[in-house]
Amino acid sequence: MKRILNGLPRHKGACLGIAFLGVLALAACFAGLLVDPLAQDLASALEGPSAEHWFGTDELGRDILARVIYGARTSLLTAAGAVAIAAALGIPIGLIAGYFGGWRDTVLMRFVDVLLALPGILFAMALIAVLGRSQATALVAVGLTGIPGFARVTRAETLALRTREFVLAVEAFGGSSTYSIFRTVLPNAWSPILVQTVVLAAVAILLEAALAFLGVGIPPPTPSWGEMLRTGKTYLYDSPSYAVLPGLVLTLTILSLDAIGRALASILRESEGLHDAPLAEAGAP
Amino acid sequence: MIGFILRRLAELVPVVLIASIGIWGIIYAVPGGPVGALVGENATPEQIQAVTAELGLDRPILVQYVDWLRHALGGDLGTSLQSREPVAKLIGQCLPATVQLGIAAILIGLLLGLPVAVASAMAPGSWLDRALAGWSALALGVPTFWLGILFILFFAVQLQWLPSASSYVPFWQSPGAMIANVVLPASTLGIYVSGIFARFLRASLLGELRADYVRTARSKGLRERDIVTRHVLRNAMLPFITVVGLMMASFIGGALVTEAVFTYPGMGRLMIQAIATRDYPLLQGSILVVLVIYVVINLAVDVLYVWVDPRLDYGA
Repeated sequence: MKRILNGLPRHKGACLGIAFLGVLALAACFAGLLVDPLAQDLASALEGPSAEHWFGTDELGRDILARVIYGARTSLLTAAGAVAIAAALGIPIGLIAGYFGGWRDTVLMRFVDVLLALPGILFAMALIAVLGRSQATALVAVGLTGIPGFARVTRAETLALRTREFVLAVEAFGGSSTYSIFRTVLPNAWSPILVQTVVLAAVAILLEAALAFLGVGIPPPTPSWGEMLRTGKTYLYDSPSYAVLPGLVLTLTILSLDAIGRALASILRESEGLHDAPLAEAGAP
Repeated sequence: MIGFILRRLAELVPVVLIASIGIWGIIYAVPGGPVGALVGENATPEQIQAVTAELGLDRPILVQYVDWLRHALGGDLGTSLQSREPVAKLIGQCLPATVQLGIAAILIGLLLGLPVAVASAMAPGSWLDRALAGWSALALGVPTFWLGILFILFFAVQLQWLPSASSYVPFWQSPGAMIANVVLPASTLGIYVSGIFARFLRASLLGELRADYVRTARSKGLRERDIVTRHVLRNAMLPFITVVGLMMASFIGGALVTEAVFTYPGMGRLMIQAIATRDYPLLQGSILVVLVIYVVINLAVDVLYVWVDPRLDYGA
């Protein structure tokens, strides 16, 4: 932790990213005090940016900035929930597969291969088609697509730690495999898992927005960036800023997380020889 | 070599089989089952029974699965519930469009990504390297559906140079019209993959530049440019083949969002349509086709990789 705090100031992009995400999170937390995302004013529909409405208004005369701020709530909460689901399932899979090897490794990793065999967005859409469209389904669908990332990173780290002296020593002293996994392996495997968490948060936000853009994400009237881009695209001729500004906030959020992830990877790699974990791995083109 | 290919093929069978069970099972996981989705809520018991018999859903589950798989292996993926046309025919119409878009996107990605990677690997840590790293981060971080919208706004709405909705024109019919239709979606995807290509190839090049043969070449007095283009790039390209192949594979099913932005009639739009209309045979068929192509491209990439690099062991 101290290593990260010391190393961070050298990565200016990551600092900017943290500042941006901080402002966004604050706005999302206190959104109720600031703005009303549902107040309609049909007389001033589809207006461009003005002093009264900084981001302009949508087709129902609702303030776009207000909806972007409420959309941040949706995006950040979905990302947090999805990453939690992916970590809760993916990390144990990686630990068991890497620690025990053998048939457990084969079976679990085949399962992960099958998950990986389908593009994440397709898997999520099929799941939504089956379970119906709701906030919970979107969360679970995005979360499940994150399992392979956590499982593979954790497994690779566990495999490397498995043969280290301090793990072997615990075994030699008769420590149970549960003790060994949770008290010796996991605490030493956290750095790549941390990087993976940041990367996956970005992927989750992107995937949630993509699903909403395709019209299968969180159902309206809950404000969502992807949904705003979807509607905004139909008014490109009347009000170009409608689709552009929410997309800009989404893009800045993704870029911030990517910068933080790369800074973390670089800081931790300097001390531990960690692999690069680029955003590319599970993107949604 | 033949043995290696056969062994890899054999390894794929369980993955495809497990996935096929999952894909086929989609139809049963739906609340109300496939019949409910088809006949609606107000159907009489007789109607439900008739549709159940028509779809063969009254047979034992295992029989149904084996039957579905046997037909699928023979190229018969069933009939679309919506358009009443054979699923295989609908896929046959959309797949070429997606493949054409994918190839165009990969070409643009290589065109943008290769120079970026080479330029930054030749001067690691320089201002140019940092600027190009920023470009890669931007290429990867900007969502394709937002970039696509910006492209439409600029080239279709403002300048009115290109159509805002792209249709599929085969290259051999009219190269000019094909380029006009495919350039925006292909650039949107191409910029994204150029970020992946640049990051990967840069790392691969930097690894090669530390090799002994590079030091030998430098001590012989070869120009740095010749070392990179003649020796290093060739070796660094080997693992890069895998990345290009993987991207092509993921485009077959993964260009969904970009196809939606430009209303391009490819596999992605077919699948979105299948999901929206609850057309289960169409959904099952297209996911199965995408999966098989994905897995086969992966295999082809592995084989190609071993073939172009004789140092690799077939047994590995």
